[in-house]
Amino acid sequence: MSLNVDRDSLAFTFKGGMLPMMVMELTSADPEQIRDQLAGKLSQSPAFFQHTPVVLSVERLDEPHLALERICAVCRAHKLLPVAVRGGADPVKQSAWALGLGWFPPLDAGRPRSLESVAPVEPDASIEEGPLASPPGVGSGGRIFRGTVRSGQQVTAPEGDLVVVGAVNAGAEVLAAGSVHVYGALRGRALAGIHGDPLASIFCRELHAELLSVAGNYKRLEDVDPCLLGSAVQVRLDGDQLGITALS
Amino acid sequence: MAKIIVVTSGKGGVGKTTSAAAIATGLALRGNKTAVIDFDVGLRNLDLIMGCERRVVYDLVNVIQGEAGLSQALIRDKRVDNLHILPASQTRDKDALTLEGVEKVLETLAKDFDFILCDSPAGIERGAQLAMYFADEAIVVTNPEVSSVRDSDRILGLLASKTRRAERGEEPIKEHLLITRYNASRVDSGDMLNLEDIREILAIDLIGLIPESEAVLRASNQGIPVTHDANSDAGQAYNDTVARLLGEEVPLRFHEYQKKGLLSRMFGGGRR
Repeated sequence: MSLNVDRDSLAFTFKGGMLPMMVMELTSADPEQIRDQLAGKLSQSPAFFQHTPVVLSVERLDEPHLALERICAVCRAHKLLPVAVRGGADPVKQSAWALGLGWFPPLDAGRPRSLESVAPVEPDASIEEGPLASPPGVGSGGRIFRGTVRSGQQVTAPEGDLVVVGAVNAGAEVLAAGSVHVYGALRGRALAGIHGDPLASIFCRELHAELLSVAGNYKRLEDVDPCLLGSAVQVRLDGDQLGITALS
Repeated sequence: MAKIIVVTSGKGGVGKTTSAAAIATGLALRGNKTAVIDFDVGLRNLDLIMGCERRVVYDLVNVIQGEAGLSQALIRDKRVDNLHILPASQTRDKDALTLEGVEKVLETLAKDFDFILCDSPAGIERGAQLAMYFADEAIVVTNPEVSSVRDSDRILGLLASKTRRAERGEEPIKEHLLITRYNASRVDSGDMLNLEDIREILAIDLIGLIPESEAVLRASNQGIPVTHDANSDAGQAYNDTVARLLGEEVPLRFHEYQKKGLLSRMFGGGRR
């Protein structure tokens, strides 16, 4: 495309990108109900609502006309920035464009729509599983431990990330539902994503760990490439294998 | 009020009793009224190291169970006036100790003494936990080898959680690292962990470093704490340790390997 064009004269180039994007799947079209629930979420994890871009998914709603403008206003009032709408009938698409939002076709466009979208959805159960409830790595249930985690001790962050400001000694164990960050030598066992979060990672300043585990996939010290020992690394799940890479 | 110091390690055979005897002697020689208590019920050793095994009549268990008074059980040291030993029982086991009993003994001693040293048994079970429970300070004795360092690490975890100060949320126990049986030449050749590695892993202040020395074995077999052997390297190192415990600034010695020069090789080195 741009082979014959002088690079300096380019104002921009188009690039395909895959960005992580939060999808807010609406199960109610009532702006008041959405407002109430957002207010509750905001108090639980304020750090999450930092003008976070969201895609409003209306696939599970069966209403041809939506109060899209009011729903967007509610979102913005809670520091969520709607950038696009996914799914919905033609009037929804038109009003999205009118509001300056993008529109995406429904995700399951090829599949026949199931009946469950017509059936009333239980309000609580499905919402708790939604992306809002567990944004990776954010969580308000995190924990900071200052000092040395000693042999025989176990430090756990059952809901979020665990930060250890100090060393984790041999025979000690650190566990977190989210990621484990060790600002010191990691000589003991570190288990991240203990509830199965595959995006959890382990970070440490000096790797000598007896055991590394992310979402149940583990590596023993024996399995670790010896040239990584003693260096600062991150450990994350790559498929079903643990990948250890140096942090430089 | 006396300062209660536990001498502990987790691992056995690293020099707890030798250190407790040597440090208690050093404290007493500097004019502090000092008691040293053997908590190793069933494997009594402190009386041998202190050379008072023939004078044991009553012991810690007798006192706790009300069979003897504290003053009857305390043995006054032959060499230093203000040093007293409370021996352990050889015929009982550690279940004979109770928390209330130990507390009462320590409370009574605390009224008369400046320092109370508790010589802990090895392990992390009841005996070791009772020895550390009421402590204000802890001396963690560690040898320059990985298993000893790991056990000391475990003990440090217990000191921070299973003691009265920890349970009451008071100011934590002051922890001191005492490295014993340090052989600078074997450290130099990589057979032993070096000082910096140990300090980095355990992350507590170093109170002393005792070189591996013939003087220690000689002293324990003779029943004379090595502190009395002021010419020996180990005796001097324990004296330095005691000085630091009392707040003095003393430079570290005996941690560097000095290769023997030609002359000293020809004419023999100094006494070790």
